[in-house]
Amino acid sequence: MAGHEDFIEADNAEAIITRIEHKSRKIESLLKQFKPVEALKTALEGSATITKDDRCKSANWIAVHRAIMAIKDVDGMLLSLDSEYHDILMKYLYKGLSTGDRPTCEQCLRIHEKLTQRAGLGCILRCLADTQNTV
Amino acid sequence: MSAAAEKANTMRLYLTCIRNTLEAAMCLQNFPCQEVERHNKPEVELKTSPELLLKPVRRFPTFTGLTADNCFTDEPDIRVINPLTVKQADELENILAKKFLRFLSMRAEAFQVLRRKPVQGYDISFLITNFHCEEMQKQRLIDFIVQFMEARYFSLILIFVFMDIDKEIGELKLSVNTRGRLVATEFLKQFI
Repeated sequence: MAGHEDFIEADNAEAIITRIEHKSRKIESLLKQFKPVEALKTALEGSATITKDDRCKSANWIAVHRAIMAIKDVDGMLLSLDSEYHDILMKYLYKGLSTGDRPTCEQCLRIHEKLTQRAGLGCILRCLADTQNTV
Repeated sequence: MSAAAEKANTMRLYLTCIRNTLEAAMCLQNFPCQEVERHNKPEVELKTSPELLLKPVRRFPTFTGLTADNCFTDEPDIRVINPLTVKQADELENILAKKFLRFLSMRAEAFQVLRRKPVQGYDISFLITNFHCEEMQKQRLIDFIVQFMEARYFSLILIFVFMDIDKEIGELKLSVNTRGRLVATEFLKQFI
């Protein structure tokens, strides 16, 4: 039984990784057109999938990281981002802060401050309490 | 100049981030044990009921001389653990910092929110329980921790002493070097 589930998970993982690759290409093209906000939205959209596979998670993270680092105007970005993406963005910010890489951390800290002002402390707590959909 | 200003700005952002996360995480209240009646167990240390624990949060700013920190929280939230590492510039400062923080940890009762033994891998740990939140104001607790990290000054709750960690370590380093020089001079005089 467990083997059967692993088999399904692996299939699913391949499908998810293919989807993430499509997404990455779309993000690259959006960034080339100087549309970082749309790129970030695209990056956050697909990542709501519940998957335990580490490859999917790291592939997702790379795409989101690319989009986050390209953001220059944080306020404008947050104004145009829907509130359903706030929680996912917050999870990725914490993931970014745990990497320890200086430019990533600085960018994540900048966005974190503005996002907390906008979304409130509930966003942080939801991100801490959610052990099912981890990024 | 601009590099210093940038560093100060990043520091400010980092402390704001810590403050916000602490404020969100510190919603603590008494919660009876789910397995044994009329018992109350510290879930963060025991980890018997995983559904009660929040995710640990890791934040590593990469400035020299500052802190890496990792915050474990307990869900219906009996306690929050906040371990810190203080990174120092060279070996001597490393040793002095460790000794100084060990000195503080040994006197943990006076601080009330300090943990006697730091969490594995860190230099010093704070432990905040729901009792602390009931007795003391949450905002002031958060201010205390943030100021400690800023290394400006902090006050002992029972005894009002103002200390500046960086200044203390600097003075200790100076005195170690002076003593070393004096001892070496005296010792080598016999060979002249």
